[in-house]
Amino acid sequence: MSRAEVIYTFASYEIKRAIARKKVLALIIFTILLNVLPYYALSAAGTTLIPTSVYPYIWVVGIFAVGPLFLNFTAILIAAGAMSEEYEQGTAELLLSKPVRRSDYFTGKFLGGYILFLSILGLTLFLSFASAFTFFGTQNSLYIIPGLFLAQAFSSLAFYSLAFMLGELIRRSSLAYIFSSAAFFSSYIISAFLGIVYEITGKEIYKTVEIYLPTSPASSLPIQYAFPKLPSRLSTVLRFINTSTAVPTINLSIEILLVYTIITGAIAIAYFLYADISRKLS
Amino acid sequence: MMWETTRANSSAVIELSGAIKDYGSNKKIGPADLTINKGEIVGFLGPNGSGKTTCIRLVLGLIKTSSGSVKVNGLDPIKHHVEALKKVAYSPELPNIQTFLNPKQFLNLVSHELSLPENINRSDQINQILELVGLQEYSETKIGKLSKGMVQRLSIAQALVGSPETLILDEPMIGLDPAGVAHFRQVFKDFAAQGKGTVLMSSHIMSEVESLCTSVAMIHRGKILFKGPVDEVEQKVLSYAIVQLETSPLTPQTIQQLRKIPEITQMNIVDNRQKENTTVIEITVGTNDIDIRPQISDIIVKSGAKLFTIKSGENMLERAYIEALKEKNGAKP
Repeated sequence: MSRAEVIYTFASYEIKRAIARKKVLALIIFTILLNVLPYYALSAAGTTLIPTSVYPYIWVVGIFAVGPLFLNFTAILIAAGAMSEEYEQGTAELLLSKPVRRSDYFTGKFLGGYILFLSILGLTLFLSFASAFTFFGTQNSLYIIPGLFLAQAFSSLAFYSLAFMLGELIRRSSLAYIFSSAAFFSSYIISAFLGIVYEITGKEIYKTVEIYLPTSPASSLPIQYAFPKLPSRLSTVLRFINTSTAVPTINLSIEILLVYTIITGAIAIAYFLYADISRKLS
Repeated sequence: MMWETTRANSSAVIELSGAIKDYGSNKKIGPADLTINKGEIVGFLGPNGSGKTTCIRLVLGLIKTSSGSVKVNGLDPIKHHVEALKKVAYSPELPNIQTFLNPKQFLNLVSHELSLPENINRSDQINQILELVGLQEYSETKIGKLSKGMVQRLSIAQALVGSPETLILDEPMIGLDPAGVAHFRQVFKDFAAQGKGTVLMSSHIMSEVESLCTSVAMIHRGKILFKGPVDEVEQKVLSYAIVQLETSPLTPQTIQQLRKIPEITQMNIVDNRQKENTTVIEITVGTNDIDIRPQISDIIVKSGAKLFTIKSGENMLERAYIEALKEKNGAKP
């Protein structure tokens, strides 16, 4: 009871702490804009561009247009500050001077931030559906939403864990944001570049490296899960979005993401358990 | 010069044995040897950067020793953090408390963090503590909007949650108004008296330490110079005593007579209060083994002068502290 309570305490504390920082409010505003405006734009652009047969599935557009970039970046923004901001503000010292296990504090903070991320992911899915319903009428294949939620949640977990680790190692929130974002965008850019090089040269090594970059399975997994369950005619509206998957199978995507999550999470907790607790960093 | 520290025994709450913390870049604290027994109220004295806070952070398991050992309630505070610190609470100097919470929410967070047993009504305890520290009126005010003194009160309040048996206080009186200082002095005394609690209090306010603490530990460059009862510190560190007297003006003959007392090494008139027609004299006695106040008062009374007060010198702990630091490598206090 008591350990679970302590973890719950730190998780709910982390949610409140992150919400108190204005960045979460900004993320929610962006989530709303990014999941309402595209539907409004599609609707206002005229229905001739979009076949009416696609209308019942148009709710996926918001998710696949926004998800890979915005959601993974949101995970980074939440995670990078979870530990580092406490060191910067000097608030970690007092909490950890209490008779609590560091591992409970770590777990609570990790879970709290991740639950907050899941809330934003849930809001994204809801707004995509609600906007699609508002502008295009009844939506179908909604049964895939829970699975899609889990796929996206798992994809972003790798970046969440990476940013959480960097926040703990660097203990400076601004640097943790910069390094995490740099890793994320570099992976995206390098992945695209390697894809092109592979197309030109046909050398497998480029493809292999591309597959194992973190953004490749993170982008592939939601698509690999959802697309087989959606009608093929959706490709008309999704032609603007890159729906090709760099990673060949869903299992491999899961495995790669799992490795990234475990490695970064393990480094973060090992360092946190071993290292001294810093005083306020100025 | 190194004075013997209190010997370790089974009632030791805090024990540092040759504890060294090496921060690198030539910044090394220790080796520190310090034992604090149950029921002691120890003033932890030392100049800025002497290692007081490092010792406290070692005790709290926030940082690891580079060598040596630290025990809290007989356990290593890093390896057995929860068990060792179960009944230990800490109030930091200039606390950084979550500004988005209000005092009630913060104490609630602490009580949940401590997983207080079900039979303890957390809300009642929090209200009692808020009342005790004088923050009930501000219990719903965001911490970010509280004054420095109020945050200091809250820092002490959070340390009292969960009925600890040992309090570690880092400059607890900083930012408090005089009434607050008097109030918390009593709170700490009550804590030590009622619950047979132990207090380790770091402070630069010597008068505070003198009035509250049963013993003091002096630290310099991470090494404990002395640990023992306050009067013992003064006796061991100072090779002299001070006697202060307030009299009607003394004749040169009386002053001459006083000077003839062999133990007196120096006499200074520190204040001439012409309005009251009195003189305040500070006499330095070359030894602190003999009380020469009866001799002094005899001479003054026999001379026909009026003796209003005669007492041992004030701020003796401060003098002892400065003296101890001077002796230690000619250190500046």
